Amino acid sequence: MTTQIKEEFQFPKTYSFPPFFTPQPNSNTRHSQLQKWSSLIQSYCRHYKLYRLNLIDAIETPLFHNAALKKRVSLPEAREILEFMVGDGRAEWVDSGKGVVWIWWRRPEEWAGLLVDWVESTGQKNVVLTVYELVDGEDSVSQEWHGMDTDVMMKSLNVLVKRGKAQVFGNEGQEGVKFF
Amino acid sequence: MATRRGVGLGAFANRTQASQFFANHGANLRSTHLSSLQTQLSVFQSLLHTFALEHSSTIKSNPTFRAEFARICNTIGVDPLAASNVKGKNARRGPGESGSIWTQIMGGDMNDFYFEVAVRVVELCRETRSENGGLLGVEECRKRVGKGKAIGSGLEVTDDDVLRAVKSLEPLGSGFSIVRVGSKQYIRSIPKELNTDQATVLEVIQISGYVSLSMLQLNLNWEKARAQTVIDDLLADGLVWLDAQGKEYEYWSPQNLLDDSG
Repeated sequence: MTTQIKEEFQFPKTYSFPPFFTPQPNSNTRHSQLQKWSSLIQSYCRHYKLYRLNLIDAIETPLFHNAALKKRVSLPEAREILEFMVGDGRAEWVDSGKGVVWIWWRRPEEWAGLLVDWVESTGQKNVVLTVYELVDGEDSVSQEWHGMDTDVMMKSLNVLVKRGKAQVFGNEGQEGVKFF
Repeated sequence: MATRRGVGLGAFANRTQASQFFANHGANLRSTHLSSLQTQLSVFQSLLHTFALEHSSTIKSNPTFRAEFARICNTIGVDPLAASNVKGKNARRGPGESGSIWTQIMGGDMNDFYFEVAVRVVELCRETRSENGGLLGVEECRKRVGKGKAIGSGLEVTDDDVLRAVKSLEPLGSGFSIVRVGSKQYIRSIPKELNTDQATVLEVIQISGYVSLSMLQLNLNWEKARAQTVIDDLLADGLVWLDAQGKEYEYWSPQNLLDDSG
């Protein structure tokens, strides 16, 4: 996982609440707990620009392990939280083994919307761009998707392809894209 | 004529006359008394009116001032909210005086203000019901309402405003009420009574932050079964959260979770 040097993530108050790390027996409480986890994971990943989590690694990070409280989320519990997020459309398993997961702090559809807006406002309709340019090019430095995981970018572009708003061509690793 | 003490049949007539006279006089006295009281009241109301008009902006913007003003209204028996909610009361007043005192004075703004606070309170209670089991601290509620979620919509309110707003919901039969546990007041949005044992445990949590079975057994001299029952009930109602990662199970109150919910 790549973590950029950036100011520390400000954990919400829930993170200092010891029972937060224990699956709650009451179903209403449990639901509320899962929602809080979902929004915490999303804002954590957004802050560090993480697009995927490797569960085994992630449960050792501060996200799932509060060293100050000496509380941690167990692997099965982390899996359950992520299953909840998958059900909510906020996460997606990368592999069938359920070891790595996409965290959709923006869903591919949402990224697609941002891309379209950007292309329109910069007048790059009908211009051929390489995916590399889109992700790492100078023009997109100020954009939220700058430095994005290429797989996520391809997923987002595919949304646009399905809608007939873009065309992707070229070989893997050096795709180009044209927006309509 | 009537002063002569009669002994004959005429005495009966005299007595009726006298009692009639007294009754008349009494009625006269009562009506003068009433009209003088009415004058006093209307003078006071108009003074209150002038006062409120003069200070209307302060009343609207300064929560402490507003609470004091509301207190004055309450002392003279004018409940601003009750007056606006119970339409029947207005019928007894003269024409042109209908509507609550707030409405008369502030052109509806104050009523709207409390209703707006009430709406926020209801929203907040519903939103947090699954996390706190329908028991929301008045203080937490005030802080949250003060922050506001929508753009530029933080309302600076006092605990008093929140209590008043909850009270304004009463006529709706919505089941919102205020309960006091230990030193804290809570808004209860799920109609359920706490028994004394449950209230005691919540009070302990206020002080120590959490409870465990052995704490209850040791400090309150409860048998294990009793402590276990109370805890189980609280857990089932969602009023406490479980932390199973310590040496012993600990039960925490979700009250201070609120700041970042949502």
